[in-house]
Amino acid sequence: MRALKKQNKNRLLSLAGLLAGLVIWEIIGRLELSPAFPPVTAVLGAVFEVWSSPRFLDALKESLISIAIALPPSILFGVAFGLLIGRYKPVEWAFDPLVNTFLSLPLVALIPVLFLIFGLGRGSILATIIIYTFFIVVVNTAAGVRTTDHQIVEMATSFGASERQILSRVVLPSALPLMFAGIRISTGRAIRAVIIAEQVIGLIGLGGLVQRLGGAFAVEQLYAVILFVGLFGLLSMEAVSFVERRALPWILAQEETEPALQGA
Amino acid sequence: MIEIQNIGRQFNTRDGTFEALKDVNFAVEDKEFFSIIGPSGCGKTTLLKMVAGLIKPSSGSITVDGQPVVGPGNDRAMVFQHFVLLPWADVLTNVGFGLEMRGLSRKESREAAKPFLDRVGLTRFSEHYPHELSGGMQQRVGLARALAVGPDILLMDEPFGALDAQTRQLMQEDLMRLWDGEQKTVIFVTHSMDEAAYLSDRVLVMDTHPGTVREILDVPLPRPRDESVRRTPVFNELTAHMWHELRGMMGDPTAAAPE
Repeated sequence: MRALKKQNKNRLLSLAGLLAGLVIWEIIGRLELSPAFPPVTAVLGAVFEVWSSPRFLDALKESLISIAIALPPSILFGVAFGLLIGRYKPVEWAFDPLVNTFLSLPLVALIPVLFLIFGLGRGSILATIIIYTFFIVVVNTAAGVRTTDHQIVEMATSFGASERQILSRVVLPSALPLMFAGIRISTGRAIRAVIIAEQVIGLIGLGGLVQRLGGAFAVEQLYAVILFVGLFGLLSMEAVSFVERRALPWILAQEETEPALQGA
Repeated sequence: MIEIQNIGRQFNTRDGTFEALKDVNFAVEDKEFFSIIGPSGCGKTTLLKMVAGLIKPSSGSITVDGQPVVGPGNDRAMVFQHFVLLPWADVLTNVGFGLEMRGLSRKESREAAKPFLDRVGLTRFSEHYPHELSGGMQQRVGLARALAVGPDILLMDEPFGALDAQTRQLMQEDLMRLWDGEQKTVIFVTHSMDEAAYLSDRVLVMDTHPGTVREILDVPLPRPRDESVRRTPVFNELTAHMWHELRGMMGDPTAAAPE
């Protein structure tokens, strides 16, 4: 009960923060300092018009299709690869530098290269999503694997566990919390990646729409799209958290538990 | 019968070879409760893990009923000092874990685990997570997990070492009762002299640097035992003798020198 109350209080604080931001935005907009800051009420007016326009819905569909094709396999292979890197030293030695290099690279710089390889079409967009998400899942999963308690591995071994059983029943559950963190981050990054890649092409998807609206100085409409992207990112990551809480009930239970029951 | 013959174990360190165990010889009879006691770092846990098949000796051999130990086996199950339960699985899945590792499905192993959970008195906690239980309860789960695979030999590594004194005493009595009913071979590693004397048929006192057998003591206390044996002269003599031996090894200049 106490935990629930606390959660509600935290929600309220989040909402208050958001509201304060909107109020400040409105004030700056009303001051007419710059055409780049239309009042928030004007943007909200554009929201309903833009979000229901066929142009927007087509663009959204395009972007969602790209994410739906690229993100799930990126996560799946990222988890598998992360398990191998985290569990087997030779694999780690072989691939760790490569993975870390990709993580620190400014990926935007790689996008033109991807377009050279895959052409001006969906292939390049998918490739962009993959390089933005895959490595994050890999490092987080590998880090999760490294949190495996070696005593549990030894216990499982003492009961005759095979390597496959140790992977599925000990290593994977140990890695789950960090793995989910990686999946959550990569979901946000997939949305970023699809917009960036579509902007380069400039014709398709939400990124294309952003590019065209920006070029036309349709600032209110541009903000309406950006607002949608922000909200969509937030909701997607919340959705991953929701799955996470269902998949990791013991973590939740640990957070809520009062001190352990007394007595032997 | 478990036979430990000429066991040695060396580690390579920066300062050269470190001899953890040297010329360890003893045998444990079937259905015997056999304790190993010794100062910290004498290699008693290493020795137990060798019997479990988790660590290979550098030299010598271990056989169970004439068969050399080459790895973990169905005839042995281990109980760990720090319980080592799966934090993400409920109590019943934890008790069935050993069975699951031996090929049963999750569902079958949970079903088969029930009577063992009952035997340690935790049936109503079957769907709790380990962290919701006290240390004593967690170790009961650890014990039930080991019993569930139906081993002939229980290998217990300071199983009550992480518990408070009162819980520890309760657990000793419970283990005593369980063992009276089960008649399994037990090798019990401990650093508590009191515990060793109370539970065991025989107690092996280990010497340290290198770890080796100092002596093996018979515990001439009748069974079944209860609390009252702790106040008998035999019990007190035994623990006093162990203390004399162990104290000599601990390098305390005020202690009596070992012979």
